Amino acid sequence: MNQTYNITLTGELIGEIERSDAIAVFAKLFKLPLDKAHDFFHKAPLVVKKSVDGDTANKIQQILEKSGLHCEINPVEVVETEQSTQVGVMSESAVDAQDEQSGQEREEMLDSESEMTTEPEQPSASFKGLKFEMAGQPDYGFVTVHVPAGEMLKVEASAMATMDTNMQMKTKMRGGLGRMVTGENIFVNEFTAANMEGEVGIAPGAPGDLCHQYLDNETIYLQNSAFVACSSGIEVESKWQGLVKGFFSGESLFLIRAQGKGDLWFNSYGAIIEIDVNDDYVVDTGNIVGFTDGLEYQITKVGGYKSFFFSGEGLVCRFSGKGKVWIQTRSSAAFVGWAHWFRPVKSKG
Amino acid sequence: MEIELLYRPGNTAAKVTLEEGQTITTESGAMIAMSGNMDITTTTHKKKSGGFLKAAKRMLAGESLFLNHFEPKQGSGELFLGSSLAGDMMTMDLDNESLIVQNSSYMASSEGIDVDMGWQGFKSLFSGESVIWLNLKGQGKILISSFGAIYPVEVDGEYIVDSGHIVAFDETLDFSITKAGKSWWHSYLGGEGLVCKFKGKGTVWCQSHNPSSFGGALSSSLRARKA
Repeated sequence: MNQTYNITLTGELIGEIERSDAIAVFAKLFKLPLDKAHDFFHKAPLVVKKSVDGDTANKIQQILEKSGLHCEINPVEVVETEQSTQVGVMSESAVDAQDEQSGQEREEMLDSESEMTTEPEQPSASFKGLKFEMAGQPDYGFVTVHVPAGEMLKVEASAMATMDTNMQMKTKMRGGLGRMVTGENIFVNEFTAANMEGEVGIAPGAPGDLCHQYLDNETIYLQNSAFVACSSGIEVESKWQGLVKGFFSGESLFLIRAQGKGDLWFNSYGAIIEIDVNDDYVVDTGNIVGFTDGLEYQITKVGGYKSFFFSGEGLVCRFSGKGKVWIQTRSSAAFVGWAHWFRPVKSKG
Repeated sequence: MEIELLYRPGNTAAKVTLEEGQTITTESGAMIAMSGNMDITTTTHKKKSGGFLKAAKRMLAGESLFLNHFEPKQGSGELFLGSSLAGDMMTMDLDNESLIVQNSSYMASSEGIDVDMGWQGFKSLFSGESVIWLNLKGQGKILISSFGAIYPVEVDGEYIVDSGHIVAFDETLDFSITKAGKSWWHSYLGGEGLVCKFKGKGTVWCQSHNPSSFGGALSSSLRARKA
């Protein structure tokens, strides 16, 4: 891969140009409405061009400096995720449209733009998955999702830790009464990136692992506290497990069903192990994180009656068929059981 | 039998692969997942042995009375084991040796290992932390878990370890309960209370964190229970 450069507008002016004039020039160059250009200028330093080769970068710098706009050329780190941590990235569309009355400078810009079209970024209509980074796995998983302008991300209530200021939050009740009963928060917060790309940092409640799956019109069932976030194409609802299955599972009467097309993130308490089920597999009910649609599952006792009462395992979930099961290496129920002995004892009277 | 440790050190799980005819004995409640062909039997003591007395001894010791034995029915099988607290795990091969393991650190052992408890039972009553010791001996593999990281300490002469931090130690070591400070009063105020003093030559495996300290820290924010 060739070395590429980002061009950052520092917001400083060269020469004796008036600030308002500079903004006007900037607006004209990038074909933006004046007020938007004003906003961008206020956000400086700001990346105005991403991943261009050295020649193009120099050309653009010349054009900008001629107009009195100071800018810097920074080499792009090979790690692609680095560049997205910039203060803000102007959407490509803002630069695309061209004007008839362009001077020589504009033509040069055109040159550079034709090269820009080779960039891997795609319009939101056809993107396959959002850009995201996960850190701290498997002990303290944390995910940062980059939401393209106008896109929406659904996040478990209270899981948002950090976000850009242009993210707009809306609280939605999902699945109505159902979620109220699962013990899962009834509310899913919807974060929409207004005007331009924005990022949301999501920290799940329990210390543990995170897992990402891209669903292509597929369905995944999650244990009721495992849901973290999903993109707008995925429907999340709670699903009644049936009285027998739910009642004995010791967890809750509901599973969360995530289905549709898009990204899904879920978390665990402890690390996540992915298991390919070909025949059948047994998982402790407290260690299930999620499983794919198509697997049959049944809550049964493990072994004989002696094992049922004394093995410490009690009821387990027996999966059969073909699919994937995600399990967690720790169980919150087991931890709570341990902590029970440290509860202060109520004094009588 | 193969034991593979995953996601060390924080969220360790052990993946045990068993061939047909092999058996593994685990602490009760340690299984998190297993292949469908695994057979589980629960006994009060070592498989095919163990009397009521031994079981009663286990009960007295506070260790749950029961051990689970897993055996694949047809072909090989796999089994995942996890502890209830965050931390590391360690496997060891015993060759007719004897190892003393703190009861909450014991996870699993292969068939050739005898799990006995009540070793120095009386002494442990005075250790102040209600630590119970298991004596593992025989030939085979054992799996041990810890709260936090595990680190070995080679003892040659004398060494002192807080009793809550001991995971296991060689039986060749002699141990006694003693006070940490010069006087009992200082030991108590210092929060160290009673410690274990090891004498001789051998290895002590320690855990970086003390479960009762963690529990004590949580205690004030937990809801009171009835008796």
